[in-house]
Amino acid sequence: MNDGPLIVQSDKTLLLEVEHPRAEEARRAIAPFAELERAPEHVHTYRITPLGLWNARAAGHDAEQVVDALMTFSRYAVPHALLVDVADTMDRYGRLTLEKEGFADSEEGTRLVLRTTDRPVLEEVLRHKKIKPLTGERIDDLAVTVHPSERGTLKQELLKVGWPAEDLAGYVDGEAHPIDLQQDGWHLRPYQQHAVDGFWHGGSGVVVLPCGAGKTLVGAGAMAAAKATTLILVTNTVSARQWKDELLRRTTLTEDEIGEYSGARKEIRPVTIATYQVLTTKRKGAYAHLDLLDARDWGLVVYDEVHLLPAPIFRMTADLQARRRLGLTATLVREDGREADVFSLIGPKRFDAPWKDIEAQGYIAPADCVEVRVTLPEGQRMAYAVSEPDERYRLASCTDAKLGVIEKLAAKHVGEPTLVIGQYLDQLHEVAERLGADVITGETSVKERQRLYDAFRTGEISTLVVSKVANFSIDLPEASVAIQISGTFGSRQEEAQRLGRVLRPKGDGRTAHFYTIVSRDTVDADFAAHRQRFLAEQGYAYRIVDADDL
Amino acid sequence: MATPSRSLADDIRGRSDAQLIDLVLARPDLARPAPADLTSLAARAGTRASIQRAVEALDRGHLQVLEALVVAGDAADRADLLRLLGSHDASTVDSLVEDLWRSALVWRGADGHHVVRTVPEVLGTSVAGLGAPMRELRPSAPAEHSSQEHVAAVIAEAPDDARAMLERMTWGPAFGVLPTATPGRTTARWLLEHHLLVPVSADRVALPREVGLVLRDGRLHRAPELTPPVVEVRTVSLVDAAAGGAASECLTHLDELTAAWGAEPPRVLRAGGLSVRDLRLAQTALDLDPEHTAFVVELAYAAGLVADDGEVVPVWAPTSEIDDWSSSEAGHRWATLALAWLASTRAPHLVGRRSTGTGPANALGPDVQWPAIRGIRREVLRELASLELGRAPAPDSLRERLAWRRPNRSAGVLDEAVDAVLREAEWLGVTGRGALSQAGRVLVPAPVPGTGAAPAGADTEPDAPSLLDRAAAAMSPHLPSPVDHILVQADLTAVAPGPLVGGLGSFMRLAADVESRGGATVYRFTPESVRRALDAGWTAADFIETVRRSSRTPLPQPLEYLVSDVARRHGQTRIGGAAAYVRSDDESVLDTMLASRELAPLRLRRLAPTVLVSSADPRVLVDLLRDSGFAPVHEGQDGAVVHAEAPRRRAGARRRGPGPAVSPVDRAYTQTLVDGLRAAEATADQRRAEDESRPGPRIQAMDPVVTLSLLRDAVADRHGVWIGYSDGHGATSRHLIHPQRVEGGRVRATDESGHEKSFSVHRIVGATLES
Repeated sequence: MNDGPLIVQSDKTLLLEVEHPRAEEARRAIAPFAELERAPEHVHTYRITPLGLWNARAAGHDAEQVVDALMTFSRYAVPHALLVDVADTMDRYGRLTLEKEGFADSEEGTRLVLRTTDRPVLEEVLRHKKIKPLTGERIDDLAVTVHPSERGTLKQELLKVGWPAEDLAGYVDGEAHPIDLQQDGWHLRPYQQHAVDGFWHGGSGVVVLPCGAGKTLVGAGAMAAAKATTLILVTNTVSARQWKDELLRRTTLTEDEIGEYSGARKEIRPVTIATYQVLTTKRKGAYAHLDLLDARDWGLVVYDEVHLLPAPIFRMTADLQARRRLGLTATLVREDGREADVFSLIGPKRFDAPWKDIEAQGYIAPADCVEVRVTLPEGQRMAYAVSEPDERYRLASCTDAKLGVIEKLAAKHVGEPTLVIGQYLDQLHEVAERLGADVITGETSVKERQRLYDAFRTGEISTLVVSKVANFSIDLPEASVAIQISGTFGSRQEEAQRLGRVLRPKGDGRTAHFYTIVSRDTVDADFAAHRQRFLAEQGYAYRIVDADDL
Repeated sequence: MATPSRSLADDIRGRSDAQLIDLVLARPDLARPAPADLTSLAARAGTRASIQRAVEALDRGHLQVLEALVVAGDAADRADLLRLLGSHDASTVDSLVEDLWRSALVWRGADGHHVVRTVPEVLGTSVAGLGAPMRELRPSAPAEHSSQEHVAAVIAEAPDDARAMLERMTWGPAFGVLPTATPGRTTARWLLEHHLLVPVSADRVALPREVGLVLRDGRLHRAPELTPPVVEVRTVSLVDAAAGGAASECLTHLDELTAAWGAEPPRVLRAGGLSVRDLRLAQTALDLDPEHTAFVVELAYAAGLVADDGEVVPVWAPTSEIDDWSSSEAGHRWATLALAWLASTRAPHLVGRRSTGTGPANALGPDVQWPAIRGIRREVLRELASLELGRAPAPDSLRERLAWRRPNRSAGVLDEAVDAVLREAEWLGVTGRGALSQAGRVLVPAPVPGTGAAPAGADTEPDAPSLLDRAAAAMSPHLPSPVDHILVQADLTAVAPGPLVGGLGSFMRLAADVESRGGATVYRFTPESVRRALDAGWTAADFIETVRRSSRTPLPQPLEYLVSDVARRHGQTRIGGAAAYVRSDDESVLDTMLASRELAPLRLRRLAPTVLVSSADPRVLVDLLRDSGFAPVHEGQDGAVVHAEAPRRRAGARRRGPGPAVSPVDRAYTQTLVDGLRAAEATADQRRAEDESRPGPRIQAMDPVVTLSLLRDAVADRHGVWIGYSDGHGATSRHLIHPQRVEGGRVRATDESGHEKSFSVHRIVGATLES
């Protein structure tokens, strides 16, 4: 019997024993094709999925390498059925290819062709109701023409029927525009450079990096590689401003070359940063700002926070298949389960670095996660017991018992940049009053937000109370304490984002603190359990303490 | 051979002892009951039932030769045979004919080989898809209509459409319905007029055998298939490790199934079997696909680990054998399962199939019983065993070979069964990665070389206990060794990196939920699972201590917190009594209950600051309180907490007798049998010689009615009569008597010595007048 670090389970998960001497070797061998699902302290769980296997194929790995990795590192015999399944699944990728034929200067121009090496496969997919209309005239037994506008939809549908097409049709170069990185006193970190290279060689695809690992710089690096006009899609206005600041600081781009396309401003410039929201705004049942996509001959489209990409953007992306697309995200897991669309429309995963690895390299701050449990006072327990189920979470979250704890924690970390994050406005205002701090909510104007952020950044104010507007893409480099007082039920997504707030590297290498305050014996605690499970799975051991023991 | 035989009986009487032994081994049905002498052995060998069995057991090679012998007719020479078979391999054909002779489907006369008369009857009129001969279809037809040259000449002249019609009938079926439309009808009429087709009824026609043979170019089969198709193989490594892994997983599945059924046994359906819903529950619990679940359930039944408990409301419960089985060494546990699987006559792959007229077959139900599967299982394993170590067969070629071995079985059914057996063998660990494992090899008796006839001796039960031990010993080294530790992590999972030792395994199954199975098991501690353990009588301290002791890693603080948190709430409220009460030292809890709208239907009333009562049944009370988020415990009459023991139901052991004790038809037995036959034959010869030497005429056995009338005549004529008289032991003796009277079924007569005696008429075998 082999004494490997890996155990292959019948549900296609792989258990990796972290302390095993060969664990790192095994991790490198399986990372290309297996998704890291959970990474608690001792045994990491990877999962083999068809998408993962196809990602590996797209990156140039073949079934033999996968089988070999499993056999080499597995402690017990690998179930034969699983090996066969791996080989079969991987074999499905690339049987169909999308290619461009003809010459641009010839009379007919170029045409897009779906080609196969295996005739029955083509026959099978052409018999699907949803695929047939996307194709045009049959060229021969092994090929059929495809209208260029259906390139994305076709890829999406082919993936659904389990025959993902390899897109070899290439990209338009777009309108050239000089962009360079200005590496004065800083450099792309090695993993960021790898991510840029991985993306550029793959053509299109997704780069997975944890929060705080500098995804913006990967975007900038990609732009420098493309040297073309770029459309950047981000989640909200604040995030758009931060992208702009970062690009001004890190690249040769000037203020005039970067436009913001949002609810407030509609600038179209060689580099344009647009929000998802403005793109998905409908007027009279039609998307009002679709023109933006065709406003310039974009050479690169960057999607920030791919895991939050709203459904209409997917549909628009389907029409952008001829342009290079870069997706940036902290996790491929989508709570709506649309990972397959990300794969077919934006592209396969091109780079992935586990959170812990980057932390180990010192690029993310280590974090100390603590759950503080408070007991509801007698009166509130009664109120909680008799309340309607849909009010319970609010009741439990907003208990007065939490206020004292927040004060204690704030006092403990006085002087350190501290964020108090919550869901309910009343509660946030009350907390802010007690702490004498400012509040940022959805109602706060962008200008005011910027002012407060700047003040926080400079250390002028050390405590900020924020609502869930802070969930996404705000960049607070020096926040080292986060206190979570209520959240959106059990969202794991949110937990990751909030943890990300305190994970930016600290100048002095201090440990970051992440506190969650929950009410004992209530739904609050149940939801907290969900979120903590996520943290534990990310490798952040957490402690539970009683409010009285603080 | 000394004298040429004139019949099968002659042929058999002329065989040597060794040849007789071969015959009986090849056709064991001849030996039961033991025949009196060789003549009756020959008679039995010629019966339809026995021939049918023998023909069904033939592989395709032997069958083709037998068909060729039938078509060639009596005393065909070897050249005819080779031509019919389309083969040039005389030595193969000779050895196949020899095999057929050895199993007495063919006998040798002075002029050559003869097929036993019953064989054509068994094969039916359409041998190899050919029609009946012309002389049977139309006895009055002139001989030239069936001569080869004539037929060939007529076919050569036939119009194209007529030839096309003939071609459609060439390879069978050799019958057709007369076309009603004109062009077809005209063509058919042409064929009928030229005697290439013969009408058999108003609208049906047959293709005579002679015509068919000419159309087939004188050959009986499309292609000779005299030797078995070769099984294609691929080389695989780590066979035993893979088998060991599968075996270990199989054991886990059975542990989980029996634990689940011990706690909550599913109902037995009225028609027997397990309901679809219960099977699906098992499927969810084991996290397997439906087929695999059915296999696990049927395997548990075959091994006698679960059974119908026979109560008024019968349930499927683990039997008392489960405890022995669970506590024995893993190799033994596996061997028990493997032997039970091998001997089982149930076919799990039929579960869920729709049998005719009824719904889908239920697991453990009567529709899954299919005795043929046992033979197929053995044949598949024997084929696997005939391959070299580490060689896995290509399923297609294996199916082909088995179809060659059993040409009489329906190919679809056989293929499906072969696939099922291969799958099950893989699940069970008899094979690993498609190749037979070392332990699997122990289970399979080596294939009997030589004849296509079923090797009967191999079908007998091998010596069970020692086989069990040998199989266990062969499997044990390949089973993952049990581990006695777990790795507990902060996300409240515990990973057992191998099969857990017994005690720890059952604790973990109780105290945590299984999340992933395979080489390792991933358990997750949840508030529910912890409560389950507390309900079963564990204390928080014991719980934590057990996990701490078993864990290789330091206990994460959240786990301790979880256990103490659940324990804190566990038993916070106590409920009991006939008139149910709720009491708690925490008055506010009772306040909460009283105030709770959800608990209103219980009509809780406050008895004392710390006690509530309810008119509801305590169990309802407990359930409802739990639903509302409380964690009450039952309290006994004496005020102590009553722990819910984990229920462990056991049905009585299913009686598994040693099975009908049939002594095998093996070489030793057959030797004895043949010796007996020889002795009987010798006695018969001697008796015949004695008879011949005795005075008086030969007495024919005759009908008693005839005997009586003859005796009456003798009385009237005062004539002497020779009678054959059988005594109390069945021996027949001859007497010359002078009958006096015949009455009441008796004859008074004087015998040779002049004494008057009385003879019972029913004992008189025959009589003849004194000449």
